[in-house]
Amino acid sequence: MLAKNLWIRWVLLAVALVLVSFYLFPLYWMYVTALKSNTETFQNPPTFWPHDPQWRFAEVWVEYGLASFIKNSVIIAAGTVALVVLLGTGCAYALARVRSVWMDLVLFIVLMMQVLPSSLMITPIFVAYNQVGMMDWPRTGVVLAQAAKVLPLYIVLVRAAFTQIPKELEEAALVDGNSRMGAFLFIAVPLARNGILVTAILIFLQSLGEYVYARSLITDRALQPATVGLQFLTGPNASDWSGIMTYSAIYVTPILIVFVILQRRIVSGLTSGALK
Amino acid sequence: MLRFDRVFRDGGGFDSLLVMLALGYLVVFSAFPLIYNVIMSFQAVDLFSLASFDRPYVGLDNYREVLGERVFTPIFWNTVQFVGLSVFFQLTIGFALALFFQQDFPGATWLRGLFLAGWILPGLVVGAVWGWILAGDFGVLNHVLQSLGLTDGKIFWLSDPSVSLYSVIIANIWLGIPFNMILLSVGLAAIPADVYEAAELDGASRLHRFLTITLPLMRAQLGAVISLGVIFTLQQFDVFAALTRGGPSNASNVLQYWAWQLSFEEYRIGQGSVVSVLMVLFVIVVALVYVRSTRNEHAG
Amino acid sequence: MIYQRLMTTTAFALAAFPALAETVTIDLWTIDRPGEYHYVMAEEFMKANPDIIVNVRSVQFEDMVNDLARAVSTGDAPDVTYIDNPEVALFASRGLLLDMKPMIDASSVIKTDEIYPGPLASVSYEGGIYGIPRGANTIALYYNADMYKAAGLDPENPPKTWDELYAAAKALTKPDEGVYGLAFSAVGTEEGTFQFLPWLQMAGGDFNNVNTPGSVTALNLWKQFIDEGLASPDTLIRGQWDSTGTFNAGSAAMSISGPWELPRMSEEAKFDYRVALLPAPSADAPRASALGEGDNVILANTDQPEAAFKFVEYMYAQMPRVWNEFGYMPAYPVEVADPKHAAAYAVFVESMKYARNRGPHAEWPKISKAIQDAIQSTLTGQAPAEQALADAQAKIDGVLGQ
Repeated sequence: MLAKNLWIRWVLLAVALVLVSFYLFPLYWMYVTALKSNTETFQNPPTFWPHDPQWRFAEVWVEYGLASFIKNSVIIAAGTVALVVLLGTGCAYALARVRSVWMDLVLFIVLMMQVLPSSLMITPIFVAYNQVGMMDWPRTGVVLAQAAKVLPLYIVLVRAAFTQIPKELEEAALVDGNSRMGAFLFIAVPLARNGILVTAILIFLQSLGEYVYARSLITDRALQPATVGLQFLTGPNASDWSGIMTYSAIYVTPILIVFVILQRRIVSGLTSGALK
Repeated sequence: MLRFDRVFRDGGGFDSLLVMLALGYLVVFSAFPLIYNVIMSFQAVDLFSLASFDRPYVGLDNYREVLGERVFTPIFWNTVQFVGLSVFFQLTIGFALALFFQQDFPGATWLRGLFLAGWILPGLVVGAVWGWILAGDFGVLNHVLQSLGLTDGKIFWLSDPSVSLYSVIIANIWLGIPFNMILLSVGLAAIPADVYEAAELDGASRLHRFLTITLPLMRAQLGAVISLGVIFTLQQFDVFAALTRGGPSNASNVLQYWAWQLSFEEYRIGQGSVVSVLMVLFVIVVALVYVRSTRNEHAG
Repeated sequence: MIYQRLMTTTAFALAAFPALAETVTIDLWTIDRPGEYHYVMAEEFMKANPDIIVNVRSVQFEDMVNDLARAVSTGDAPDVTYIDNPEVALFASRGLLLDMKPMIDASSVIKTDEIYPGPLASVSYEGGIYGIPRGANTIALYYNADMYKAAGLDPENPPKTWDELYAAAKALTKPDEGVYGLAFSAVGTEEGTFQFLPWLQMAGGDFNNVNTPGSVTALNLWKQFIDEGLASPDTLIRGQWDSTGTFNAGSAAMSISGPWELPRMSEEAKFDYRVALLPAPSADAPRASALGEGDNVILANTDQPEAAFKFVEYMYAQMPRVWNEFGYMPAYPVEVADPKHAAAYAVFVESMKYARNRGPHAEWPKISKAIQDAIQSTLTGQAPAEQALADAQAKIDGVLGQ
């Protein structure tokens, strides 16, 4: 019995590895292209490992000033997540708990607020920022705009997480003399912790990749995030593809590693026992 | 003073406060651009009059022009296919992967995280890499298919009008899998194991357990993921810009890319706004359906 | 005593004068990155003129027009900027650019009659001169001499007419080895128009007259290249840089592209590559080629027109350097000592004489789109060339009539 179970587990692992390798093929292709010369990318038949690998990581890091770009990306993404969690968690909770026509309307409006892509929102935002002098704090401006963009996503998803928590726990807490604020903060939020954290991760990663607002609102190179820096490697006629892929590899790898580790703890989480 | 405070900490005011904070913020930042775009769709907009509201009003002229364009109907149907197929496959593959990785085998949780790659890669890079994979002459996909003997000649995934849309959809499905998979994994993990155990003791098969336990308990998650998936897919732009530019000859053009072409390449900004307003109408339908469906969710 | 105090005060006042000489600041927008042309020019200019400060800001090529339009609307526009050739007419027609003609006439550095006709046309609008080309580029025919020899063709005699080009492409295409005869770009963006317009012009048409028998022939020839497998079907969705990438990798025997390819080609192409002028419809037909790169322009509402013009003048005078240092063709004939890629350079210089502007017309993007649509619908077989070009002409007439 034990042997049979063990065997199944290894089979599952093998299948999992196959699935992952299928899915990650484009990622592998990115790494391989980073090592190839610009022309080998177009070689027919395609080569799965470069003839003459060029390790341009140090060169790209220094020449394109990746340190500053990545720092700015992290600042903007972290700021966005902080703002979104602050504003959105409460709203998601209220929407999950209260069922009324008003709340339905609010949920509808929240969804509608993220209907336009950033490329269509940027012009009015730019003009408005100009009027109020927001252009003097460019990264803050991007954080505010991006937070507005992802807030509906956060609210909808965290609301779904809150609905999975039975009301009885909070009611018990209220009977015990807690205020609703207390019940919210000390019972509901910890229980929905996994949903909140996973959504926060998704939003962080999404905001790292934010390009449109950052490009239009941040003109000072020292404040620009990595996505804007990357775009500059494409030109009107020529694009340094291996440089672009190298840049991307440097940028993506640490983030991927960090979040693989992080999600492991969060998604599998410790909720199973709490509901009892 | 105490009473005022209590209303917000305890009473109905509590919920309103929580909601108003977020809603107020959204209205300030997102409602304004939305209204701005809607207004623009009724005006004759010029590249240089973007900053003011004061533009000539042309009524429904822009709408007539857009709806009368020969390419409108094919682009519309392309969009329907794009959204429908993308969301369907992203959801089913994402869900299947979430279920698979829920099982107990060594490294399951590590490997699951690797699927986040699709969400982390910059749009420019995803587009470029998929462009090379799908290239007709030197693309990896053709190479593998021919080596395995599955196809005879090269398939021009991106430049053949009959398949270019589906090629872009494939790339888009790849992009959307992490979102679906991770969120559904969280939902799955929240279902206590003893619920399944009880059902198993009762003799329920795996499929039966899936249909009667898993799906209903995941209802909230599924609804959220589907509706958000539709909205995201309607905004998906990078894959079109990088792979086919909506070509060849609009074979893979969709409303969102067309709106961008009208506004930013041809400078027909009023008409670009019309297309985005049409997309808003589409989203209104989706949002209404979702909000109604939340009435059926278990409240706990 | 009073006299002495007066002297001291005057002395102080005189000494303070240099401090009062203002440093003037001009804002420059560019598509370059630090270390490239405009950054280098700005630094050198600032060294030579310590009282002028140049603030450089990089903007992506595709976003330049939109960003500029937005900046003009909000009053944030730069003093000097770089814009692509066809867009000068767009901005000039709205009165947003400074007419430099009066300053040019008074200048001893800039002489407009020495500028090649193509670039000059791109900056001229209704009698005024609204920009100064910073450089130019054009397109020509790259070909693989080794493959020529292998196919029994003479590499010293590249195709000069369209018939010869077709025959050569046919001889050079080797489907079993995955080699196409010709690589070019028919993508549905400005690049497609950029590539097709010279063919249209050589056949007797122009942007305002696209529906000529010669244009139909040209478009049908393009269709033939693809249908007969002489060029890849991916030509429809691929730009010039990527198409020439296949040439460099040995998957195409010829490629139509510009001088920007040379740095990569010289490093990575492992064969004898040569350049020839674009083939013409027949031996005595007029030649034409595309015109690329762009212009330095001054915004009309700048508050430092003299300083801005001085900067533009300075850049104009650096034209002999642009090829070797930055890879642009000079916009007027210059003596370049020891040019890089000398053989290719000679061909491109010759080609510059025939380079013709796209437009000029203030609504160029709409005209370009009509042409792109015609190319794409013909090459995908959706419409015959005559129909597609007639549709394009109808749309263009609509734009011109305005």
